Amino acid sequence: MYKLTLIIRYLVKRRITHFAVLTVALCVFIVVVVMTVMSGLVGEFKQKNHAFVGDCVVGTKSLVGFPYYEEFMQTLERTEGVEAVSAVVKNYALMRREGDARNRGVEIIGLDPVKHGQTTNFGQTLYHQAGDVTKAFVPAYEPNAVGCVLGIDLALWRNAQSQYTYDAQPAEIGLILTCFPLNARGAPAGAGSVPVSTKRFQYNDHSHSGIAGIDGSTVYIPLEWAQSLCMAGVLKRVTALHVKFCPAVSLEQGCIRVRTLWDQFRQSKQGASNAGLLDTVTVETWKEYRRAVIAPMEKEEAMLSVMFGFVGITTVFIVFVVFYMIVSHKTKDIGVLKSVGASSQSVMVLFSGFAAAVGVLASCTGVAAALLFLSNINRIENWLFERFGFQLWDRTIYAIGEIPHHAEFSVLAVIVLCAIVACQIGALVPAYCAARLRPVETLHGSRT
Amino acid sequence: MNETSTNKRPLILKAENVHKSYRMGATRVKVLKGANLSVREGEFVAVIGASGSGKSTFLHILGALDRPNEGDVSFDGHYFSRMGARELNHFRNEMVGFVFQFYHLLDELNVLENVYLPAMVSCGVAGWLGTRGAAKARARELLETMGLQDRIRHKPYQLSGGERQRVAIGRALMNKPRLLLADEPTGNLDSATGNGILEVFEQLNRAGQTIVMVTHDERVAHRAGRVITLADGRVKS
Repeated sequence: MYKLTLIIRYLVKRRITHFAVLTVALCVFIVVVVMTVMSGLVGEFKQKNHAFVGDCVVGTKSLVGFPYYEEFMQTLERTEGVEAVSAVVKNYALMRREGDARNRGVEIIGLDPVKHGQTTNFGQTLYHQAGDVTKAFVPAYEPNAVGCVLGIDLALWRNAQSQYTYDAQPAEIGLILTCFPLNARGAPAGAGSVPVSTKRFQYNDHSHSGIAGIDGSTVYIPLEWAQSLCMAGVLKRVTALHVKFCPAVSLEQGCIRVRTLWDQFRQSKQGASNAGLLDTVTVETWKEYRRAVIAPMEKEEAMLSVMFGFVGITTVFIVFVVFYMIVSHKTKDIGVLKSVGASSQSVMVLFSGFAAAVGVLASCTGVAAALLFLSNINRIENWLFERFGFQLWDRTIYAIGEIPHHAEFSVLAVIVLCAIVACQIGALVPAYCAARLRPVETLHGSRT
Repeated sequence: MNETSTNKRPLILKAENVHKSYRMGATRVKVLKGANLSVREGEFVAVIGASGSGKSTFLHILGALDRPNEGDVSFDGHYFSRMGARELNHFRNEMVGFVFQFYHLLDELNVLENVYLPAMVSCGVAGWLGTRGAAKARARELLETMGLQDRIRHKPYQLSGGERQRVAIGRALMNKPRLLLADEPTGNLDSATGNGILEVFEQLNRAGQTIVMVTHDERVAHRAGRVITLADGRVKS
């Protein structure tokens, strides 16, 4: 019982304990805030990439593409566990506005809006045609023209706080796309003459995927037009098939199934015209397909975890120093306790319990302060921006609406646990020293 | 107390051929070189000796706060050398009470809590819930006996030296120990206050409390029933 009483008194009365609590609480606060924001950013980024790509991609990195995709699409559509499949042509083009001589390089994605809407979140990324994805490429002003969808940052202006100025109707803009078609052997199609294909499209909508790199450089056009502009040859080709699995099918299981089907399909096409192009095709999960953009963020997150490991070590060291000082100041108390019958183990439990109490109090304080801060983080950022023009995350770089602030209970639990363990580790040596202290060394001659 | 009647009382404490040495740098200092002492129940024994003669060391060994290098101490026929750590802790908690020269009260606890500290040490949370009332009543009773009934909520730093020493005596008596060991209990007090503390000891001894007191002051020592001298690491008389 004396342990509990003394732990409470040491917590309340010792000023040095307050500093220890404050320091550990500050460490917990920093870890909770940064982890919440960082994992929120990474999680949101992954989720957006997943939604943009679908579950699995059967594709080639080559701009030449691969043939016989319709047959394989049919195979996939008949496969149990596959919900939707969408064929895509991905290529590059020059784009200019009608009446403007300046060109800019863009990435074009040719797709069937209905199928792609079933496979990815393409339909939800649209603004004007969000309710009816079939009209994505049907222009409002010129029904006979071919419509296109622009990435939102190609279409609209946004301010530093990531707010766009939306129009009630899409602006009446004609866009000229110039592509460089390749034949099945990868050579420019019109070699010897002008090796380009040009087509006018009518701006019909914009797509907001939330991925800055995509929204700032992509133009979506109908699949058949992408094939006609970018791919020469008799056999129709695409660069990728995006696949969506049924909810019951796991990503890994689905991809293994698709990989098996693809291998069988490729075998069956051996000897067919341009069958060599099928050898360039790989089957990847959405994570593998987008790893070039996801991996750096995951690496940043991992590095952050390592850095927080150092924060943890610092916490251990701080607690060690504080407890060492407390034990040094409390040698007389330890001697008295032993003289009235307290065992060495019980003295060790006293200081370990004291450390645990510091850990619990500090981590609860840190978590409470962090949650309070996180719930107001966007307001604080807005205030900083309005008052000083300072923005924590430049929205032209980070495609986020607001700073993630939803802390996960499991993350909080782990951080609290780590803080308590860090305090315990920090107090281990001082507590051991306290337990080993011989009462005669402390009681004889030391003044009150 | 009558010497004949005292001699009839049972032997409570016996130190036999106690040796103790300390390492001080490269040299080993022999403090006790075969000290012997027998204390009967109800005796008030004063151990006197010059500074550095090993009085406090001897007292710590008698109270099982320290172990001798050679020799042994028995309490009620039980030798310390044959007791385990748990038994020795129990002995310090139940059988013996210490009073130190510098009081050694815990600053975080008030007067009442300092007095019932040994009772808290002897039981866990659940046990304490059952005995708390009785322990507090006993502590209050002791503080009343010491004339400190108005000081129970005070912190040690709010008390005078004499008051602190009386609180320390209260703490030593909390678990009704059979032996009270006092290490220079008046060494840090003025003569009037020290005299008051000695009167408390005399009163306790009259009530049957066995006391062994260490002091360097002959006037203080002669308040005890028996005075022994520690010199050259041995008990001389």
